[in-house]
Amino acid sequence: MPTSASASAPAPPSASQATARHHSELLSRLSSPDAQVQVKALRDLKNRIIGNRTKKLSFIKLGLVPAVADILASAADAGADRDSNLLIQSAAVVGSFACGFDAGVLAVLDAGVFPSLVRLLSHPDEKVVDSGARSLRMIYQSKLAPKYDFLEQKSMEFLLSLLNSENENVTGLGASIIMHSCETVEEQNALSQAGVLKKLIGLLEGSLNQRDASLESLATIIKNNVEAVSMFVGSESGRALSSVVALTKDRYPRTRLLASTCLIVIRNTSPCYLQDIGIKTKLVHLLLELHDDLGQVGDESSFALSSLIAEKEDMQKIALEANAIDKLYNHLKKAVLNSKRVEGILLAMADLCSKLESCRSKFFSLKALNLVIDALTHDSSSVRAAACICLRSIFRSIKSLCAGDFMDEIIMIPLVRLLHDRCTSVQLAALSAIGNIVVDFSKRRSIFIQCGGLQQLVQLSKSMDSDLTVNALGALRNLVFLADYTCKESIFGELTASLLASLVCDSEPSVQEQALALLRNLVDGCMDSIEFVFAEDGIILDAIGRQLQSAFKAEIGIQGMYVLCNVASGNEFHKEAVMDQLVPQVDNGTQSFVIQFLQSSDSQLRTAVVWTIVNLTFPSIPGAFGRVAKLRNAGIVSQMKNMVNDPCLEVKLRVRTALGQFMTFGDGST
Amino acid sequence: MDVKLQWEATSKRVITREEWERKLNDVKTRKEDMNKLVMNFLVTEGYVEAAEKFRMESGTEPDIDIATITDRMAVKKAVQCGNVEDAIEKVNDLNPEILDTNPQLFFHLQQQRLIELIRNGKVEEALEFAQEELAPRGEENQSFLEELEKTVALLAFEDVSNCPVGELLDISQRLKTASEVNAAILTSQSHEKDPKLPSLLKMLIWAQNQLDEKAAYPRINDLSTATLEDPAV
Repeated sequence: MPTSASASAPAPPSASQATARHHSELLSRLSSPDAQVQVKALRDLKNRIIGNRTKKLSFIKLGLVPAVADILASAADAGADRDSNLLIQSAAVVGSFACGFDAGVLAVLDAGVFPSLVRLLSHPDEKVVDSGARSLRMIYQSKLAPKYDFLEQKSMEFLLSLLNSENENVTGLGASIIMHSCETVEEQNALSQAGVLKKLIGLLEGSLNQRDASLESLATIIKNNVEAVSMFVGSESGRALSSVVALTKDRYPRTRLLASTCLIVIRNTSPCYLQDIGIKTKLVHLLLELHDDLGQVGDESSFALSSLIAEKEDMQKIALEANAIDKLYNHLKKAVLNSKRVEGILLAMADLCSKLESCRSKFFSLKALNLVIDALTHDSSSVRAAACICLRSIFRSIKSLCAGDFMDEIIMIPLVRLLHDRCTSVQLAALSAIGNIVVDFSKRRSIFIQCGGLQQLVQLSKSMDSDLTVNALGALRNLVFLADYTCKESIFGELTASLLASLVCDSEPSVQEQALALLRNLVDGCMDSIEFVFAEDGIILDAIGRQLQSAFKAEIGIQGMYVLCNVASGNEFHKEAVMDQLVPQVDNGTQSFVIQFLQSSDSQLRTAVVWTIVNLTFPSIPGAFGRVAKLRNAGIVSQMKNMVNDPCLEVKLRVRTALGQFMTFGDGST
Repeated sequence: MDVKLQWEATSKRVITREEWERKLNDVKTRKEDMNKLVMNFLVTEGYVEAAEKFRMESGTEPDIDIATITDRMAVKKAVQCGNVEDAIEKVNDLNPEILDTNPQLFFHLQQQRLIELIRNGKVEEALEFAQEELAPRGEENQSFLEELEKTVALLAFEDVSNCPVGELLDISQRLKTASEVNAAILTSQSHEKDPKLPSLLKMLIWAQNQLDEKAAYPRINDLSTATLEDPAV
């Protein structure tokens, strides 16, 4: 019979109590005048914190990092004759604090250890160099690490001295600094021209660790840089590229992943390389197989797969043929997965299903949708966002919208809830998914509204964050697209005329554009819906007119003109109101914006204007005669006469229709 | 089915011992390559003295600093003897990055430490250690938590040798942990974690199995003596 051992044992002291007790004792030993005592204290500290994030955090909070930094700085000052051990141990402690989490990196950098660690790199004792380089590398795993500007000669010389070192930890540090600091095309070019590319190619022949570091920093230098890619591909008459290809067959999964990432970067930057079907298929299979790795490599392989197939239909087809969807689904089904892994798989699924109907139907046949819906309520915000992105991609086609029809409420409730997620990226992703789901489906719309989605969208359209506003307006725009009048009425009631008018006049052009596009869909269709822009004394229409007067972006002109165009399709009163906007009553000598738009180089804008004029001048309607006269006086008719041979076919045809309509009232220009 | 098997049997080519040995003699293997394989085995498995002697006798240079083998073996030995704390300190002196960037290995070492405490009947210390050191790791990782629960379950049994999780106290658990540390140290030194010889033997077995389908030939059945055995015709 099992006996309970814990019942008789006294309660052990809590972890934080124990840490605090160690702390004061450690601190006094660290500040001892005896270097031997210090070394021992540092070693104790090191052994306590390595691998133990909890302890690192509590020691940081208790302020131990500055004490260690002081020892490091004064030992580094003392020069080479001082005991190396003090340097080795203090650098190791600092490195461990910086390992694996930003709070540690921040504490270490705040304590000013960076320059001391750099000084260790030129120490005569190789073990000190190792220790310094390792700790700096830990710091360079974080985004918080200081950046080197490679356009400065001193930084470049420093980097080259690192890469030329015999010490593997030092060359590894050089590679980490490149990955962290190289961001712009200028920096990439500076590095490749200074011989860094060549040096890294040489390191492909080095030790296992050097190979991996080299592959990773090579990818950084050539990414999205056509010049650097062709320099790399041409290096050593193609041998550099062949050795990267060979490394995709390496024994070590990490090396295989890094080599394939490098090839993907080359392919995505310069599509002329690596086009044969053999290598494409091989990369897909390799990345799918790497998902079997239980560690970081497996987590990262989905992200690599995404970058291989994103926006590329041919690659998505190859992936489908390689059973990618089945394989990813099987991984996703596993119960214990870390959030990074789930996020990566969802994003890869999203890319796979972004274009091809065959991929989406495979997705539905596996009933994978349930797993994606589960992920909408995941603890990690990145997973929730990824699930939304996946839904958006799956519901990009009408066919799949029908396939997911029975899931309506199960999807909608968590999605609407994500509209008030505490994380903006999740809100944005949820908005984009909703935009695709609510479009053109009356049943789904009403469920969405029942779930409280409408109020949420309206709330978000008032957000301080203009990205959120734009996306919320985008979703509302899809929500009203071809909706029936009752539906539009409830949406308009929620939005209100004054909110819409103020959004049209927002300081952010992208908000203006989306607000106008929303209005365009709102007033499209029946005569009653046109009345919306006349609510509250026509503040919306006036706002549109003002925006068009000052519009300097063609997109805003296009959306605004289409609102007017839809209004102009209404009754006499509607048409006159549009006329008032186009040709202002008070003639203060300024040219109407209509002339400017007709002269625009954007054919879509010209089309929108001409359509509006066609709507205003239908000959069968009594007021048309007066409107033609006004248009003529404003110089619009003669401008249109110059456009009978417009290079854009649609403009040309509509201009001819309009001129025909003008003719029925007699051409007063002669 | 029977017909097919018969056909296969009769279609197999028979290679006699003389013919086979002649073919084997035609394969030229450089002595230096053989020596390198032996050195690789000695170094990876940590036979320092043998490696040192072999270097002097054959002139084969090891692909790793022999001094580091001594350190690695000291760690391995410490785990095998149950001195896990000592082993952890030694690894951290060798390279502090190893345990900091390898949570699974770190957990397994701490778990081994707990097992040793339980083995020595230090119940209170074991509980304190589990709570302070291992529980936070379990919170970070679900599979660690399961392993931790299994290990703590050892405390619940009076007769541990006869309980369902008793195999944790087995010496094989120490060896498993020791070889995991050994592999991690080798990887950190940019060295392959397994010697090449065993995989060559695996390839030999695979090649023989492939060949069995096509031919009858003098096979190596006993790998330790590598004697050719006459084909059964």
